[in-house]
Amino acid sequence: MLNYLEILDRAHNGPYIAEENWDLEKIAMTTKRLVRKYKIEWDSNHLVTDDAALSEAIWKAGYELAVEVGAYSRSTERIIEISQDEIDSGIQNMPQEVVMGEGKDARTLYARRLNDARAPLSFGGSPGTPVPARMFLANVMSYMREPLIDLATCGTLVEVDGREVRTGNPIEVVSTRRELQYMRQGLKRVGRAGMGMLAAQSSVSELGDLAVAHPDYLRPCDSHLVPVLNELKMDHRNIARAVNSLEYGMVNASLPCVIVGGLGGGPAGSAVVNVASYLIANLTCLADYHILHPIHVRHIATSTRDVLWVINATAQAFARHAPTIIVSDIYPKSGAGTKELLYETAANAIVNAVSGGHLEGCGSADGNLPNCSGLEARLMAEVALASHRMKMSLKEADEFVLQLLPKYEHVFTADGNPGLPFDQVYDTVKIEPLDFWQKMYEEVRTDLKEMGLKL
Amino acid sequence: MSENDHLQAIAAAVIDGETEDAVEATKSALDANVDPLTILNKGLMDGADEVGKRFERGEFFLPELMMTGRALKGAMEVVKPILLEKYSGSDSKVKGKVVSATVHTDIHDIGKNIVASMLTAAGFEVTDMGVDVPIKSIIAKAEEIEAKIICLSALLTTSMPFMKDLIQLLEARGIRQKYIVLVGGASVTDTWAKHIGADGTARNAADAVKLARQKIGM
Repeated sequence: MLNYLEILDRAHNGPYIAEENWDLEKIAMTTKRLVRKYKIEWDSNHLVTDDAALSEAIWKAGYELAVEVGAYSRSTERIIEISQDEIDSGIQNMPQEVVMGEGKDARTLYARRLNDARAPLSFGGSPGTPVPARMFLANVMSYMREPLIDLATCGTLVEVDGREVRTGNPIEVVSTRRELQYMRQGLKRVGRAGMGMLAAQSSVSELGDLAVAHPDYLRPCDSHLVPVLNELKMDHRNIARAVNSLEYGMVNASLPCVIVGGLGGGPAGSAVVNVASYLIANLTCLADYHILHPIHVRHIATSTRDVLWVINATAQAFARHAPTIIVSDIYPKSGAGTKELLYETAANAIVNAVSGGHLEGCGSADGNLPNCSGLEARLMAEVALASHRMKMSLKEADEFVLQLLPKYEHVFTADGNPGLPFDQVYDTVKIEPLDFWQKMYEEVRTDLKEMGLKL
Repeated sequence: MSENDHLQAIAAAVIDGETEDAVEATKSALDANVDPLTILNKGLMDGADEVGKRFERGEFFLPELMMTGRALKGAMEVVKPILLEKYSGSDSKVKGKVVSATVHTDIHDIGKNIVASMLTAAGFEVTDMGVDVPIKSIIAKAEEIEAKIICLSALLTTSMPFMKDLIQLLEARGIRQKYIVLVGGASVTDTWAKHIGADGTARNAADAVKLARQKIGM
């Protein structure tokens, strides 16, 4: 198994290539060629494929891309070359189970297969969303108190004691520690102190991340993010996040946010790049599990047809060929206080649950505004568990999701559908949804049941 | 070949992102005495506009934009000296110089790359400084190349304050009026742009090009 010192050596000694040439010649051209070679095509009217041959083609193309190009060090402008044997060893060594949290609140994340008898787990929180300090605690508690939420995550603090947080500034240390203080306090207050977390979301550079590797903040049983940069790139600062957790023991979650419409081209190439990103991240991020978060080049959201297809294709490729723990971010276009948010969440939850993923969400309103609440995470978990209980097939999931699309696709405009901030959809003292938001949830829930979902 | 055939061949090469074809078609048009300004506006720019439209419609993706950028760059190297010779002093009429960068501490580049490619395709001369660029370096580059526009990108909310710092530094140095400062990124809003004293923002790459053209009077 390739270790981190060897990765650093290769980042310094590998072949030089200008970043633009890496992007265009290594990523874009190779991906285009592989998509043609394996005849991979996406279908905007079938977002959950049950085509095993297509899944195999996506897997093979992604594997070939990873072996052929390796990774790029943006810090040194050199290629981190990775052999096929090392890719294989990365696959073989990926954890099949990871225990997160402690005591009665501990949960075991596991590598899901298609039709897995074990239910998907749900992380509750609005990952990475800027949330003002005045509503941060109440916001995270709105997720933590939901019985179906297994693990906690959160937004990003953008101000501390009235001061603007700047990336890489010493205040990032303060903001990330403050975030963890709120998280630990919230977990205690809802009686789930041992719940595992994916946190340090306020650590945009590595500074905050390094500052919370301490049992008072992020425990060894919690996880943090180790990003893969677009596409198949690393830098020393992000590798430092992973290296810092080696002795301490935090769980590393790789985060490649493949841009659908970016260097991989359309959905077919983006799925190939996403598969390759995980194979690289097994090694360069020292990943224990992977976050699945393709981003639409124009709409950001994970609920567009093409991004849903990429989520399905990527998760399914691993579920069929190399089961790995995958946690899928749900980033709807719409924000809290809108029915569209709930329908987008339902579509994402079904696609993830049947494709072999766990769930994390929701980054409502594209994760750009604090227009997010625990209520949509409740629906996310309910829908995922219902589709699992029903043993929903890939074909049934496809048909169901196609019925959901007309209920929300009109939101993909420049104005979006941002909804309302957390403190306008929740009673922030009682931490309960306001009546109008609760009513919307119940109406959508009823509609989903009438559509055949056994909630 | 008629003039129209030459221009169509240039536009087609730009749309296909074929640098060698674009260069050859441009040379061929010049040899046939097609006016260099017509080559620029009706061949290269028409092709680039079509690429922009296809990107907006979701038919083209980032690689196509980048390939078009390369093809345009190659063809411009051929046509530019002749253009300058024929229309002496018209340099500023055919393009504006732009410095583009993702600000200090932010390493996201896709949005910035798309805007830079679209601006290039629209006839601007773009110097893309990459990501995580210190504000002093951005200003130094703008001064060095005599840019008219500074385009700043930030995806991270906690990196956006560096946009404000750059504008304040321009003001402190007494050179704010020399530049049009445009800001962009997923979390950047009109309100934010006004708050920091920027000259504008756009919701997408196509609107960014329109804004840049409008600001520079193209």
